[in-house]
Amino acid sequence: METVVQNMINGIMMGCIYGLIALGLSMIFGVMNIVNFAHGDFVMLSMYFTFWVSSLMSVDTVATIAFTLPLLFIFGILTYYLIIHKTLRQKYITQIAVTVGLMTLLRALAQLIWKARPRALPDSIVRGTIVLGQYTVMLSRLSSALVSIAAILLVSLFMAKTWPGRAIRATSDDLDAASLMGVNYKWTFALAFGLGSALTAIAGAMLMTFQQVDPTMGLRFGLLSFCILALAGLGSTVGLLISGIIVGIAESLAMGLWDPRARSLVIYVIFVLVLWLRPRGLFGRK
Amino acid sequence: MKPGFKKLLPLLVLLVVALALPLAMLSNQYNLILLTTVILYATLASAWNIIGGMGGQFDLAAGAYLGLGAFTSGTLLIRWNITPWIGMIAGGLIAAAFALLVGYPLFRFKVREVWYALSSAALVLVLRVAFMMWEEVGGPTERYIPFHDWSLYHLRFRSYIPYYYLILIILVITLWLNHRIRNRKLGYYLLALGDNEEAAEILGVDARGSKLKALMIYAFIAGVLGGVYACLYGFIHPNFFSATISLEVAILGIVGGVGITYGPLLAALILVSGRELLRANVGGQLESLYLVIYAIVLIVIALFRPQGIGSLLQKAWEKLTTKAAEE
Amino acid sequence: MQDQPLLAVQHLTKSFGSLIAVNDVSFMIHRGEVLGLIGPNGAGKTTLFNSVTGLYKPDEGEVRFKDHDITGIEPYRICKLGMSRTFQVSRAFPTMTVAEAVRVGAYNRHEEKEVEEQVHKMLAFFQLEKFAGQKCEDLGLALLRRVEIARAVATEPELLLLDESAAGLNATELGELMDMLKRLRTDRNITLCIVEHVMKMVMGICDRIVVLDYGELIAEGNPEEISSNERVIEAYLGKRALQ
Repeated sequence: METVVQNMINGIMMGCIYGLIALGLSMIFGVMNIVNFAHGDFVMLSMYFTFWVSSLMSVDTVATIAFTLPLLFIFGILTYYLIIHKTLRQKYITQIAVTVGLMTLLRALAQLIWKARPRALPDSIVRGTIVLGQYTVMLSRLSSALVSIAAILLVSLFMAKTWPGRAIRATSDDLDAASLMGVNYKWTFALAFGLGSALTAIAGAMLMTFQQVDPTMGLRFGLLSFCILALAGLGSTVGLLISGIIVGIAESLAMGLWDPRARSLVIYVIFVLVLWLRPRGLFGRK
Repeated sequence: MKPGFKKLLPLLVLLVVALALPLAMLSNQYNLILLTTVILYATLASAWNIIGGMGGQFDLAAGAYLGLGAFTSGTLLIRWNITPWIGMIAGGLIAAAFALLVGYPLFRFKVREVWYALSSAALVLVLRVAFMMWEEVGGPTERYIPFHDWSLYHLRFRSYIPYYYLILIILVITLWLNHRIRNRKLGYYLLALGDNEEAAEILGVDARGSKLKALMIYAFIAGVLGGVYACLYGFIHPNFFSATISLEVAILGIVGGVGITYGPLLAALILVSGRELLRANVGGQLESLYLVIYAIVLIVIALFRPQGIGSLLQKAWEKLTTKAAEE
Repeated sequence: MQDQPLLAVQHLTKSFGSLIAVNDVSFMIHRGEVLGLIGPNGAGKTTLFNSVTGLYKPDEGEVRFKDHDITGIEPYRICKLGMSRTFQVSRAFPTMTVAEAVRVGAYNRHEEKEVEEQVHKMLAFFQLEKFAGQKCEDLGLALLRRVEIARAVATEPELLLLDESAAGLNATELGELMDMLKRLRTDRNITLCIVEHVMKMVMGICDRIVVLDYGELIAEGNPEEISSNERVIEAYLGKRALQ
């Protein structure tokens, strides 16, 4: 029983981070109906950037966000203008093709440059564990979860209160209506892409406080985000967080109680079940 | 000569070349392997064209169907000594069954296409893990298929040549299937769905049914190829469920030309040979380099020539055949 | 002689969130007639069409076609039963040629062997032979409309619904369209239901008219009755009518 609860605690914390990653994906998908297949690799990239900045500038892991956030934001915007923009008028399969190409490119480049050797950072300021009875909570994971929740709430506020945020929401709801009201859709798309990618910087940095990075991680984070996106549906930020937590718990329980290798199996089963039974997602509006 | 025959003539010439090639390379084992690899990918990509090019679905599960075929056929052979000639068909059927399972909920009217793409990508991953964990049939070590110098029953040969011809036959069948589908009801239905799904539906096109048909045909072919693949390599291993192969096949399909029959073949000829050449000259250190190149090619084609390079070939072909017909 | 209606819509309601687009609408279409469905912009005509033809699933109500319950079933099945439609905003097949587009429709009732013949028949009926090899995306508006109707008729429907086919046509083109529709009725025995803003067409070919306003059915009758109906006039005068 203890293992179950311990796994659940870990799962909830990881789930918050996953939720944040999925939020980035959801923002892009909601606005322009494109799933960035490379999203998981953006996370991997952020983690490598975090590693670099932290090592080169001897900055604490968490503090690297100040550098990696704008970096990923620009990266996202560049990706939009250089690669995505042109395909919007093409067949859907072409739109998928470019992000798949980007995913392949990033992953292969990462393998070339960094080889298979994982990189890890020394402990950051959020180190140590809290002990609650029989259960241990790693401070690094806890703070990651809290930071993720805070980020999600901030994004929620941004979408509700600021003009760019409302522009993004309006464009997701109805592209034509939004255009009629003066929203420049190109710019909104780029912003959504940049913002969605920037969120991976936060997740990446927090992940580096307790994990190592290797070039194959993109696959794993990709699958997780797609699953959470399907489970949550479009339209609810809180829904994404909850879905993230559900998936986090499922993954953790599968790894702890069944087999560590089973993590992707469980995620896939959830994915397929959702698409089969409720394609709109648990909290989806459309 | 009849005009129809004139059109077919260049194709027949190509076929004769394809048939004669390996005999010209008898002494060069490396070239034989290259040839067989190219033709294997060409067949996979041409089959992919049915669901990708005509069906409009970005399938990333070639490795899944290939692996399923390999494991079905291989296991039947290893355990019960059932000939791969039956095993292949069984492999194809199992692959098609999986395809049906995955596609059924995802091809429903109005479910967005991206979900199939994502599911198919995940399917490969998951099957790999599942077969790694499934100790009785898979497991982390290779399961070897008994070696034979020349056995038609076991489909085991010392040389690559018989495999080459077998795959060539499957390629020709696949190309013929491509041609036949595209000029008949299923092809028209798929094309219409791709252009405008709602309009197609109200004209009586069953979106789900049509896409499922295309998917299952492709999966069947990939499964059959899997059966041959297992005998070719002489063992089966969960790594056959390869995301990399799936990606490569999809890239060949897209670069070749969405919907153009000979496009993927052309793409395979160029890209796969290029890959092997790179591997030979640069070696294991820079394995991923070819993937980088593939990825760049994919992005460039998608951005600047989304119809693929096959259309160039088609135009050249048309010029050639009309000139020949005029003479 | 069947006095059972070809299409019977009962208490159909469809909302989008808090917006009720179609509210408790009931009407019937009888075999052989031409029914007009009119109403100011935003009255819910297209939503009603979409709910009847399977593109939307109604929240409440029932749609019966030839005494089959077709409420919410997939559009392709409705076509197989014998109902087809055109779209307000053209849903052409951009990469296909005219002949290919018509062929897609023809496969509904014809096997491979007879499909060519059906395509030829349709192209001839709609005077599209000259344009058979042209890509749909290259066609002008009037021709595009004709192709849309042609491909729908190729499916051999008993009931054809047309969504604002007359919009944007000039006087000559309008006249040709009206002739074509009349011929559909006499030569091919197709029952028609047209959604229209162009009053000339509505008054010109409809036997009966049904009027929608704010999602509700406010009047039903023949053209004379409708044109003098006070509620109908009020519904139109209160808004900017298109024609």
